[in-house]
Amino acid sequence: MIETHELGKAYGRGLYALRDLTLKVERGEFVFLTGPSGAGKSTLLRLLLLQERPTEGVAIVNGRNLVRMSSREVQAYRRSVGFVFQDFKLVPTKTVFENVSFALRVLGTPIEQQRRRTYQVLKWVGLQHRLQAYPLELSGGEQQRVAIARALVNEPQLVLADEPTGNLDPDLSLEIMNLFRDINSSGTTVLVATHDRELIKWVGRRTVHLEHGRLLGSPGQSGATV
Amino acid sequence: MSAIGYAFSEALVSLRRSGRSAVMSIGTIAIAFLTLGGFLLVSANLQSLVERWASSAELSVYLRDDVDDASRQALVAELSGQAAVAGVEYVSKDVALERFRRDFPELADVAESTDNPFPPSIEVRLRTDPASSGAADAMATQLTEREGVVDVRYDRQWLSRLMAIIASIRLAGVTAAAVLVLGAAFTVAAVVRLSLQARREEVDIMQLVGAPFAFIRGPSIAEGTILGSIGALLSLLILWAIFATTRDQLTAALAEWGSVGALRFLGVAEAALLVASGLVVGGLAGLVASRAAR
Repeated sequence: MIETHELGKAYGRGLYALRDLTLKVERGEFVFLTGPSGAGKSTLLRLLLLQERPTEGVAIVNGRNLVRMSSREVQAYRRSVGFVFQDFKLVPTKTVFENVSFALRVLGTPIEQQRRRTYQVLKWVGLQHRLQAYPLELSGGEQQRVAIARALVNEPQLVLADEPTGNLDPDLSLEIMNLFRDINSSGTTVLVATHDRELIKWVGRRTVHLEHGRLLGSPGQSGATV
Repeated sequence: MSAIGYAFSEALVSLRRSGRSAVMSIGTIAIAFLTLGGFLLVSANLQSLVERWASSAELSVYLRDDVDDASRQALVAELSGQAAVAGVEYVSKDVALERFRRDFPELADVAESTDNPFPPSIEVRLRTDPASSGAADAMATQLTEREGVVDVRYDRQWLSRLMAIIASIRLAGVTAAAVLVLGAAFTVAAVVRLSLQARREEVDIMQLVGAPFAFIRGPSIAEGTILGSIGALLSLLILWAIFATTRDQLTAALAEWGSVGALRFLGVAEAALLVASGLVVGGLAGLVASRAAR
């Protein structure tokens, strides 16, 4: 699903956020990306979401070479990727329902289909009773569940999450991680960046460790390429 | 929902949010288009006035006092046969004096005290089509060299010069208005850009979910289009109000210069063009502003 070869991102001369990263994530796999702050976790996710372009190496996701994509190809690629951020990135002026259906609306999905799919996914994350609430009326856990619903509404093949539990207490973090496990069990590839070791231990999946922008290893799990 | 429907619904939400900024940009667009419309209105009326004068233009051929009847009649016959000529009238010295007394009764004493100073003349009414205009120019030139002719006065020559002056005034007006429109476009672009900043989170998310450019940039273009067309429409209403309240006084003032006919407002096509220009200028400003949302 994801294959990188000597992938690197430099900001200015010799200032690397990510360097020589060679990594393989199989389709349907759940992988944690861990490491201290500044290790390059978010940079890798930003490169995989094409918010930034790599300066070195190759990145192939679902058979598409991210390094040579045109603007239109980036649009098409992003439709197959769901994303979840630590700060939720919800539009405060839109209701829960609108925040989720918005992702379908801007892709020109027929309105009936938008409504049906939005309701389904919000029900799945347990927010069917908060459809008309605004983000600021929700708890942190609920806001992150809305963000997860939005990530899933397009039925992506890959979900990228950058510190999705960073703003949540431990109980809510487990709740959110359970959602990611459920997403993965339906066949979606999941890549979660976190520095929460307890959470990683609790979920018990393959872990890729980054430090100073380099891959350290992914101990004890199958399918890792170091 | 289509990209266009989405663009306009989001643009209306943005405009409500913009409040005073939107009103200010509508105001600047209205001022710019009021200037443009004003120049168009004035020049259109001047043009129709000059055209009316041109259509009644005459060519006056002044003859020597001692021209003999045979030469005069030959000239009248020749002129009557010209394709550009609609009619010919011979005005004798006596008739010319009579007309002077009638038109300027207060100066009758001056005419009484001297010999009749007015030369005999032939007044030639010309056809108004463009082909005849060219033929009349050539005819006027040839007549000056004819035996018995002392002078030829041709109204269209000074009317042509007047037309050229009007064209220059119009060009200057349109240039000034274009500068104002450009300034207004920058204001619209700034307001649209502010709206875009207010929607920044939304735009970021749209980009992340792979929304097409039409959805990302559409609301900004729609916002500019709405601001531009409302501004131009407002300028048209203000212009009409100014025209309606000053028409009678202007007509009375101009009547002292001769028959001016009824002053007219911009035609439907001209008014539609003005509003369409506002729409296009606003849309282009929105498009430029939307480039910030890459």
